This record gives sequence, structure tokens and C-alpha cells, in this order.
Amino acid sequence: MWTYLRRRIVSSAIPLVVVILGVFALARLTGNPANLYLPLNATDQMREDFAARNGFNDPLLVQMGNYVGGVFRLDFGTSLRTGEDAAAMALRAFPATLQLAGVTMFLAIILAVLVGSWAALKPNGIADRVSSFISMAAASIPDFWLAIVGIFVFAITLGWLPTSGVASGASWVLPIATLLLRPFGVLVQIVRGAMVSSLSEPYIKLAKSKGASSSRVVFRHALRNAAAPALTVAGDLAVGLVNGAVVVETIFGWPGIGKLMIDSILQRDFAVLQAAVLITAISIFTLNILIDLGYALLDPRVRPAGSIRKRRVHAQAIA
Amino acid sequence: MLSSSPISRTLRTSKRLAPLVIGAGLVMVLASCTVANSGGSGGGGEAGSLLRVVLPQEPPTLEPCEGSLTSTGIVTRSNITEPLVERNPTSGELEPLLATEWEATGDTEWTFTLRDDVTFSDGSPFTAASAAFAIDRAVNSDLGCNIEGYVFGDDDLVVEAVDDTTLTVTTVRPDPILPLRLSFVEIVPESTSATEKVREPIGTGPYSIASWDTGTKLTLDRNETYWGDAPAYASTEYQWRAEGTVRAAMVTSGEADVAVGLSPDDGAGDLGVSYANNETVALRMSGDLPPLDDIRVRQAINYAIDNTGIIDSLYTDATKSAAQLIPSGVVGFNDELEPWAYDVEEAKALVAEAKADGVPVDAEITLVARNAMFPKITEMAQVLQEELTQIGLNVKLSMVDTSQSLVYQLRPFVRNEGPIVQLIQHGNQAGDAQFSVDQYMTSTGAQSTFGTAEFDAMLEAAGQLSGDERAAAYEEIFAYQNENVVQFATIAHMVGEIALAPTVTYTPDAATGDEIRLADFSPVS
Repeated sequence: MWTYLRRRIVSSAIPLVVVILGVFALARLTGNPANLYLPLNATDQMREDFAARNGFNDPLLVQMGNYVGGVFRLDFGTSLRTGEDAAAMALRAFPATLQLAGVTMFLAIILAVLVGSWAALKPNGIADRVSSFISMAAASIPDFWLAIVGIFVFAITLGWLPTSGVASGASWVLPIATLLLRPFGVLVQIVRGAMVSSLSEPYIKLAKSKGASSSRVVFRHALRNAAAPALTVAGDLAVGLVNGAVVVETIFGWPGIGKLMIDSILQRDFAVLQAAVLITAISIFTLNILIDLGYALLDPRVRPAGSIRKRRVHAQAIA
Repeated sequence: MLSSSPISRTLRTSKRLAPLVIGAGLVMVLASCTVANSGGSGGGGEAGSLLRVVLPQEPPTLEPCEGSLTSTGIVTRSNITEPLVERNPTSGELEPLLATEWEATGDTEWTFTLRDDVTFSDGSPFTAASAAFAIDRAVNSDLGCNIEGYVFGDDDLVVEAVDDTTLTVTTVRPDPILPLRLSFVEIVPESTSATEKVREPIGTGPYSIASWDTGTKLTLDRNETYWGDAPAYASTEYQWRAEGTVRAAMVTSGEADVAVGLSPDDGAGDLGVSYANNETVALRMSGDLPPLDDIRVRQAINYAIDNTGIIDSLYTDATKSAAQLIPSGVVGFNDELEPWAYDVEEAKALVAEAKADGVPVDAEITLVARNAMFPKITEMAQVLQEELTQIGLNVKLSMVDTSQSLVYQLRPFVRNEGPIVQLIQHGNQAGDAQFSVDQYMTSTGAQSTFGTAEFDAMLEAAGQLSGDERAAAYEEIFAYQNENVVQFATIAHMVGEIALAPTVTYTPDAATGDEIRLADFSPVS
């Protein structure tokens, strides 16, 4: 286990370095941010002073050296916009996004498994068609439209929920419902497809003929085998959420890292952008490692990638 | 029995626990039911004691010397901190605040008499020394304050506290509007860092900072040691939502009392209140590049734009057609100037005349506009492109983000993409035309694409005058611009909108977009 983890961490280091250097280079390509921080009628002297104060006059390699050195000390500098420590700003915002993403994916997976399995029990039956329609619609609806409509219906018209903000438990409902729909829609289709093929396997017939109940057949046997493709897609969707549900955060005023990143890009706040991107990248690499471990959990035949143990064929044990 | 790898065994033996672990984790996360980075839930105060304001964005800082930045000044100015004098946005007059009197006591010297009954919210006394410190810090230091750039330029001030209640300020050259400039400098105590900007300042204002849950909300409490009349609300809570429809929804659903920065389409309905803000929208032409270097083409552009049609179809009744870059109420506004007539035939004739003289009217002109700079800017830009095309010009529309638009907007401009007309919005929050004309009309102005030596001399001379002479000189400058220079095609004096809960009384004015003076709010009795 530890060998595996060590190998994965080492192999994640290279893409991480690429991210660290890449975000620096791409941000600097956008030019001098002085215009965004100085008044419109600032004089040339003021622009010079601004550049000197923030190190933008230094050669690019010197700036990169300072930045990389800072990364090793976990010092990303201070925000041009607020004057706060950039790493502190990113670390403060990240858990809010993690909470939102975590709860959303958890609910999306549970609901998708239930609905997808139900649909797969009778392919092309009524349940299947209804759930297909719902899931296609859910996967297609734009989240910004849904968010505004949700606020209009549930907050303004019915008054059941708050419009936005983070003040109470009720304020979780609309953001999560908005974010949930697309992952739910996509996952239902994946689960349904994987379950249909799983349920048509010979061992399922054998299990049924041995008297296994429907739920045992579905959850104990078929689902475990259908889980791998669903896990792949779920992982991909989770990464998208961790990246920051920017639209939801913007509309609902959720103090997460997605909005922080967008604001930093628009304001060319390099320090905060670099910190936020790095934190997000590390969490995505971690998530990918967890997903790999998840495969091993689900399918004993699968060794986590990078394992040095010889693969063995392992027959399905039907209890 | 076939064996499996230790990894799989480990994982499988724990597989039954995994769902429990995950479930327990989520329960713990949700059980706290507070969002990370939120500082816990907020509640409303008793009715009448808490004013809830929702802004378009979180103030990046509350540093008073950045007060000319709207996102900062809207919270700090005249709430947490105060200047020596304050401009009345309606009358345009300067009114005493921390200073009771002021006069020019020399060519380059002004003397201010200060109040002697003021303390900062931390209990320290306000004296001329504090005022001198604050001005020195904002204008002369290396902090790089926004106010320094916006109001004072490269020139430093010499400030001296003659005694506890007397302050002299000496300028590099005669400056008839120095007191107006000082209305931007908010006074802080000498304990404030002079080498670094501060995020949470101390001031003399009617409110002080109670708490700032960064990312979520900012609360100000009434300053019990305030020298003036106590404001009606004991506390103010600021939140922020980027989306205008959500801000309006918060007021209509009772979650907030005031929402700012709205457009008429945001759904505030009967709770929306319009007011003439100090913003003017115009096209600025790069008049040193052909074909825009021919005054006939620039005049044609003015004739081609249907100001009234644009305003009627896109904006509310209160929006006015503009003939100059400043609205009425600003010193220098020329109320005899009429907007250009909408005359497509005249425009076409002028273009044809220029073309006959060899002016390359077919050269591609880029119309640059910044996304979301003001409501319906995209629609306005599309209409302008169409109107300019129909008179025989070749116009391409380019919508850009803030950072890109600033490259086009400010010196050294963009010189390798041909002639540019840029849709700009200028707000003169200072109340004097000099703040507009210096940057937009001198030949070296930060936002001026061209000028003439004669015009420069007029502008320089006007800046030295005061009183009625000053106003008259600037009025002439705007007339001269329209007649002889034609760098601009002014379109509209814009209107802002806020939403007010039915329990709140407030009358917005031209400054409301830049400052929300909390003392002006009171509960409906």
C-alpha cells in the first residue's frame, strides 16, 4: 500500500511542477497589471513605482526564481487586490468549495445509483424511459439559468428558501441542487448502461436461480461490477466541482475558491491565482489517488496502478 | 482458495466500514451546518437597529487612502473615516466636516481651522497633527495610494500643524481647488502605519468596524464617541453578491434593506429607486489616425448617432442625452450646449466629402467596448456599429474584458490596430471639470488620444481660475471641444438604480454610486 502511495506521489510531482511553472508563465503573459490597480490618470512615475514595488521590473527569470522559492516556503506573496497573504486567502476559501463539492457528489452518486439501477432493471421500460428523459434534461440544463430560476421560484415566489448567502442550513439547498443536476444526469446514464450489461451476465442468472432476492442481485452482484465506469466518470465530475463551482459561488455568494480564482484572473492578482491553482491541483491529484484506491476496493482483480505485485486471475466468488 | 494481494485484502476487509466512514464524515460536515469561511451564521438585529446593505463586490480593503476606488470608498467614506471638508453632491458646495473654516492665505497656501471636539473611535484625540499625518501619508508617501494618483498627481503637499486646531497646506503651484481635492483624503490617527496600507482603519466617522468575516460579511457598529449627530441605525451589515438580480431579490424577499449597483432589468420592481449618477457615456475617437484624423469624419460620427433613440429603447426616462462629458452639478457644466442632432444625411454627406478629398473612409475602424461596464453596453455597442456603418464607414465591433479595455483606454494606447473608437464611461465624482478635462482633453492626458497646443493653453489657464471665472472658462472649453476638436461623441448621462426596503428612508444623490453615507438612512417612522 505504501509503496503504491509513494509511487503515486512521486509520479504526481511532475505534473505538479508543470502546473506551478505553467500558471506563473500564463499569468505573466497577460502583461503588467498596473492599469487595473492604479487610477486611470496615474502618471508614468506612479506606474514605475507600482512595478518596482511589486517586482514586475525584475527579469522574468528572477521573478520565477522568487516565486518557486516562495512555493517551497509556502509563501506565495501578498494579494495585489487586498494586501492579505495569498496562501491564507486561498486556504480560507478552499474548504467552502470542498464542502459544496463533497456533499454534491455524495448526493449525486447515491441518487444516480438508485435511479440508474431502477432504470436498468427493465431496459426500455417506463421507468427506464422516464429516468432517461430526466437525466438527459438534468445534464443539459445550464447551471446559471437554473440557479436564477431556483432563486426566483423558491426564494422570491414561494419564500421557502433564502436567495443566497451562507447564513443558515437552508442556504445549502439551492446551491447544492443547482450543482447536483449535471453530475446526477450524467451518472444516471453511466450507471444505467453499466448495470444493464452487468445484469445480463450469466452469473446474474445463476444468482437468481439460486434464489437470491432482487436487491441482493442488484446491489451485491451487479452494482459492484458496474461501479468501475461510474467511478471513473464520478471522479471526473468531482474534479470539475473541486475546480470550483464558479457560477454557483458567484450567484449564491458562496465564499469558495472558484470565485476567488476567477476574480484573481480578471484582476491579474498573480499571487492569489498561483496559490489557488496550486491548492486545487494538489487536491485533484489526491482525489485521483483516492479514485485509484477505490478501483482496488471495488474489484479485487485490479491492482492499483504502479503496484509491483504480479497480477493474478481471480474468479468471481458468489456466496 | 485463491489468494489476492495484500492491498486488496486490506481494502476489502475495510470495505464494509468505508460507507460508514464516509457517511460519518459527511454527517460531521453537515452537522456543523456552517459553511467554511463563513464565520458562522448571521442574524438580523431588532428592526430599526440593523441596516443590511448588499454590494456588488466585497471591498478589497478598507484602507482610507484607496477611498477613490468605489469598492472601498462605498464603505469607508464618511462612515468609518471622514475628510476635512465634504462636497454636497446636490448643491456642489463644499461643506465643513472635520474642518470648520478654510481660506487661501497665500498664492500656494491654504489654512484650515479644525474642530476641537473630535476623537477617533479608539479614543485618541483628533488634532491638526493627525490631519497633517493623514494627508502626508495619503499624498506624499510611498504607499502608492489610489487617491494620490486620482486626485493629486505627482505633486506633493507641504502640510504643517501650526497648533492643535490649525493646519496649513502648501501646494507646488497655485491650486484653487485644493480644498476639493482634500475632500478625498480621509483622516486617520497617527498610530496608523505609514509604511503599509491597513485593511481595517480607525477613523472619526459615525461608525467603526465591528467585525469582518472576509468572504462573507462586514459589520460596522455605531461609534458611540462620534462628535456629530448619532446615525439612526446602531449597526450596518454589508454582504455582497456579484449578480444584480440576486441583489435585487435580497431586498424584495426581505433579506436585505439596501441593494446598490442595480439595473432596471434586475427585478427590483417598486422597490427600485433611480437617480442621476455622475456617469457619462461617450465614444472617444483616435483622432490622430486616418480616417478619424479628418474632423469631418468625426463630425459625421456625431451626426450618425441617435442618442434619443438609444436612450428610449435601452434605458429609462431619467437618462439624458449628453452634449459634454460631465453632467449638470459639476463645475464647468455648460447648460447651453445641445447634443448633436441626429442627421444621417448630413453624416453621409460629410463622409462623402472626406472621401472625395482622398480620406480613406473605407479603412476598418474598431469599436472597442468593455463587457458589463454598464447595463446593456453590448446592445448599445451593436447599435453604434450599425449607425456608423450606415453612413459609409467600415466598423468592426470588439467586446473585451476590463484588463484588455484598459490597454486601449490608457496611454500609450494601441497603435497597431488602426483607428479605434472606444465606448467609455466617465464619472466625475469630484465635482469639478478639471478632473475630467485634464485626463481626457489635454494632448498628453492619460485618456486623451490627441489635442492641440491652443486647446492645451486654454485648459491650463482654466485650471488657475476660481469661482465664476473658473466655471465660465470650463464651459467654454466644452463648447470648444464640440466645435473645434471633436474627440468625443457624447451619448448619455446615465442613471443608477438602488433598491430600498419599505422600512428604510433614503434619498439617493449623484454620489450614491461612490459613497453610501449611512447617516443618511433612517427607518420609516
